[in-house]
Amino acid sequence: MSIVPKETIEVIAQSIGIPNLSPDVALALAPDVEYRLREITQEAIKCMRHTKRTVLTADDVDSALNLRNLEPIYGFASSDPLKFKRAIGHKDLFYLDDREVDFKEVIDAPLPKAPLDTAVVTHWLAIEGVQPAIPENPPIEAIVAPPDGKKMDHGKDDSLPIDLKLPIKHVLSRELQMYFDKIGELILGRADTPLFKDALLSLAKDSGLHPLVPYFSYFIADEVSRNLNNLPILFALMRVVKSLLSNPHIHIEPYLHQMMPSIITCLVAKRVGHQISDNHWAIRDFASKIVASICRRYGHVYHNLQSRLTKTLIHAFLDPSKALTQHYGAIQGLSALGPSVVRLLILPNLETYMQLLDPEMQLDKQKNELKRKEAWRVYGSLLLAGGSCLYDRLRLFPGLLSPPDILPWKTNKKIALTNLPNNKRKASSRLTAHQPPTKKLAVDPTGTNSQFPSTDGPATSSSSGSNPNHHHSHNSSNNNSSSTGNITNANANINNVSGSGAHGQRVAVSNVLRQAWKEDLDAGHLLSSLHGLFGEGIFSFIQPAEMHCFI
Amino acid sequence: MEEEVEKAVFVYLRKKGFRLTEIALQEEQTRLSSDASSLSRSESDAAKYYDGYGKLRSWAYNSLDSYRHELLRVLYPVFIHCFMDLVAQGHMQEARTFFQTFREDHEMMHLRDLQKLEGILSPSHLEEMELARLWRQNKVKIRLCQYSYELLVQYLHKTQSLAMLGVINEHINFEVYPGQPASMSDDSEAVSLIGTSQDLAREINQKELHWGLLEDSVEERMEKTLSESDKTEVDGNKEADTEDNNKKKTDGNKHSTAVNNKKKKDKVVGATGKTIRSESSMVSVPPRVKPELTLPQFPPEVEQSILEDLRNRVQLNSLALPSVSFYTFLNTHNGLNCSTISHDGSLVAGGFSDSSVKIWDMAKIGQPGRASNPQGENGSMQGMHSLASDEAKRPYSLLQGHSGPVYSVSFSPFADFLLSSSSDNTIRLWSTRLNANLVSYKGHNFPVWDAQFSPMGHYFATASHDRTARLWSVERIQPLRVMAGHLSDVDCVQWHPNCNYIATGSSDKTVRLWDVQTGNCARLFIGHRSMVLSLAISPDGRFMASGDEDGTIMLWDLSTGRSVSPIIGHSSCVWTLAFSCEGTLLASGSADCMVKLWDITSSMKALKTDDSKSGPASRLRLLKALPTKSTPVYTLRFSRRNLLFAAGALSAGS
Repeated sequence: MSIVPKETIEVIAQSIGIPNLSPDVALALAPDVEYRLREITQEAIKCMRHTKRTVLTADDVDSALNLRNLEPIYGFASSDPLKFKRAIGHKDLFYLDDREVDFKEVIDAPLPKAPLDTAVVTHWLAIEGVQPAIPENPPIEAIVAPPDGKKMDHGKDDSLPIDLKLPIKHVLSRELQMYFDKIGELILGRADTPLFKDALLSLAKDSGLHPLVPYFSYFIADEVSRNLNNLPILFALMRVVKSLLSNPHIHIEPYLHQMMPSIITCLVAKRVGHQISDNHWAIRDFASKIVASICRRYGHVYHNLQSRLTKTLIHAFLDPSKALTQHYGAIQGLSALGPSVVRLLILPNLETYMQLLDPEMQLDKQKNELKRKEAWRVYGSLLLAGGSCLYDRLRLFPGLLSPPDILPWKTNKKIALTNLPNNKRKASSRLTAHQPPTKKLAVDPTGTNSQFPSTDGPATSSSSGSNPNHHHSHNSSNNNSSSTGNITNANANINNVSGSGAHGQRVAVSNVLRQAWKEDLDAGHLLSSLHGLFGEGIFSFIQPAEMHCFI
Repeated sequence: MEEEVEKAVFVYLRKKGFRLTEIALQEEQTRLSSDASSLSRSESDAAKYYDGYGKLRSWAYNSLDSYRHELLRVLYPVFIHCFMDLVAQGHMQEARTFFQTFREDHEMMHLRDLQKLEGILSPSHLEEMELARLWRQNKVKIRLCQYSYELLVQYLHKTQSLAMLGVINEHINFEVYPGQPASMSDDSEAVSLIGTSQDLAREINQKELHWGLLEDSVEERMEKTLSESDKTEVDGNKEADTEDNNKKKTDGNKHSTAVNNKKKKDKVVGATGKTIRSESSMVSVPPRVKPELTLPQFPPEVEQSILEDLRNRVQLNSLALPSVSFYTFLNTHNGLNCSTISHDGSLVAGGFSDSSVKIWDMAKIGQPGRASNPQGENGSMQGMHSLASDEAKRPYSLLQGHSGPVYSVSFSPFADFLLSSSSDNTIRLWSTRLNANLVSYKGHNFPVWDAQFSPMGHYFATASHDRTARLWSVERIQPLRVMAGHLSDVDCVQWHPNCNYIATGSSDKTVRLWDVQTGNCARLFIGHRSMVLSLAISPDGRFMASGDEDGTIMLWDLSTGRSVSPIIGHSSCVWTLAFSCEGTLLASGSADCMVKLWDITSSMKALKTDDSKSGPASRLRLLKALPTKSTPVYTLRFSRRNLLFAAGALSAGS
């Protein structure tokens, strides 16, 4: 009935020299032994509490025995709690692992180090209620609710005067670590799976990813530099960047400076992916969009962000020794930043640049087909930039552009489809009849690109068969966003590219544009200064456009 | 008498020849007597308790939802008494099985009591163990609503379970109240309370208590001067203030950098805080009382420093949290039992298991020159200590004199004296200037768990394992008062700010407030579920906080003796509690390596609004939890300027 069995009492009796204890006595003693044990334990716990500990030690038991005026137990002197081991095969039998030590060993052993003396050190546990992130304080919890993210940063700011230099240990929770590993794996291996799409969505939506942002920014920078010729991975990385940027819960600003170089690399690198087989233009376009969105979002916070970016890009653009791919990236980046940037930075340099670009585009002067193709690309992007700038200007006059937006496309399409065999006169007269739509088409970059071939439709080209193909790829890649009408136009262009009078066409188109300009001028909507700037610009702009048609 | 009648009846029947009747009578008699003997008590009693309790239990658990929690309250005392009755009647085996069978039900609420009672194995233990004695000698009072009570009575009558009826009649007093059953959470006055002690508490708590602050204290005088100067010349005062501030800034530069930093911080808020304080003090001024003890006068320069501190006090509230400076004891080898910090945070003392007391002067630690060239400074000490050269190497002053573990240390208000209490039954007074022992106070018969200087100095109170608290004056070696009444160890002691009362917390799970003049118990606070480890009284003298072994913190209203808000504040022992200087915040430090800050004002407001009805107690609001790096928090102390100091020993285990 007592947890102390009477056998124990008998064994104890024998050990202190009472060989034959009567069972009755043992039975009577057992419960009392248990009671005394409990009493001593209770007192020992009191002593433990007063020594401000939560683990019972032999000292406490000694103190408790002392309280009861009993002799302490010897042989357990240790200020640390005793370590009990479970006896094998018994559920609740424990023993102290008391190793026998050879005397010689003890004597021969070198003297142990003297224990260090007690000392007191002081630190700030909190400053006005906020814990500074110093090594003396426990690491701040890794998972922080997103709204707290900012607050915490402020907290760190508060602590700056105290201790800034010490490294902050950052603990990442297991779940986040797994998440990060999984994302990394997806980016590098399986970027084309639907799972990756879900991952991107999660990156863009999930709260609580904030602790991972430094890791992601590092990962992206690292992988971009390593995988410059692996286009799918670069694309995946850029998409991750885009998702992270769009996540409303992430406070990404402090990490922008780490991410920007990788994005700009994707934009203006000399070689991205395999030059021939991969569509590296697409990633440049994508990167330019990301850059532009960053500038829009954080431009007001980091006022020198855009200026630094444009400086980098304009350097790439104006350096003739740089490859055409780089020029293309720079132009794309600049034009993505908005028409005003284009007007201020590209247009003034356009004429000189065109002189450089011209020979590259000529079949007879540039024998390397790849180079020529690149030049055409650059040309296209310039056209786009200039066009959008122009469009922006013209948008200021809503009277001219507000008329039907859809109608012109339709009519245009009709023209392209129905008037395929018609000669250029008819097409152009038709276009002049619809003045506003023509203007829009001429001005809108996507419009220009598709318009020219479609009006060219009937015109015959004397150039080689490779050019139409080039036209096609040019159009389809450039007009990602355009409607199917454009594509049919392009197709129509391929079908009918042969047998149209190039020369007449050139005149017609320039007529169209010139007329448009004149109208603007006549209407007095365009300022004369603007005309001065654009007058030349637009001529150089139109001329290549015609040449483009010409080929 | 009865036998005579019986005899007479038999004689009468024989005489008349009623043979059959006689035989029938005899038969009936034998049957009756055999009945009585066959009910051999040893067997059936135990079974009766077991069955009776089992049935009562299942009935209570199956009763109506809204009354169940009230009926379940009845189970625990019945359980305890059934068990003790069984023990008292000598059915050890049955008692043990009974206890083990039903123990689980009560483990959640009463684990510690159960652990103690489990040890009762013979009737003599019942006599010996204080807890068992308490239970058996007193009645439990249980509050039941009208209907619950009727249900219970009906059940007991219907089932005819006499054992249960007996236990309930004998040991439980029902306090029946009309209306609906009280809500589940209102458990504070539920079961574990013992009837008479509850009555005692009620009786004691009806006494008048002067909880106000002292008349003519430095604070009061300062407020007076403030308000006067406010009235007379507002502008002039402001100028004086700025001058003051400037002066202080220059003063501050003289101090060591660490202290200087914080002072500047304090100062910035101080200016604004002051005006708010003077306004708020207008709203609710605590009543003033006369001191019952003859109190010492502060010397003028000390008063000056207090006034300066008061002027520079940071206003703390739920929005403005304090800065916490943490003193970590390193390499204590599990030997640090207690620590204390002086009011200005410049001195830190620790009491160790190896009987030593060590004092660190934090201002000197910052100065590297001191370690190399201490002779000039400590020249006077060299004569006293033969180990002077050894002394020089140490960054602290070592006080040796006790012959057992030191359980508490306490600085006098101006840190010129230090008290230490030890397991060698003595309290020693040390001078921090001379680094020497001045007096050894003997009087307690068992280890002295706690010793605290009064807020004004000169007097101190001690708490001991001998179940008494004692009041001493530094200049007498005999105690002035002995406060006896606790039923177990007195574990902690704390002074009321007006020096007229001391509060003690005990292992009997109660907190008592004693009048220092009469030595009588002025308040009894019942509600903790385990040993009370720490106490703090708010600076306005109205509220008291107590922390226990389980991590519960309770806030008490001293004037009514009621609990304001119990909270599970920590996951382990609450070693220390401290109120901020204006009483808006409560800081608690615990073995779970946390300093927590609680908002007092919100619960005060709630208290004021529903003062009349004793509705569900409002809870303290946790403002901030500050985890330390595996350092249990032993001591907390707000400086007069409301900087919070904390101390603890880095535990090597982790």
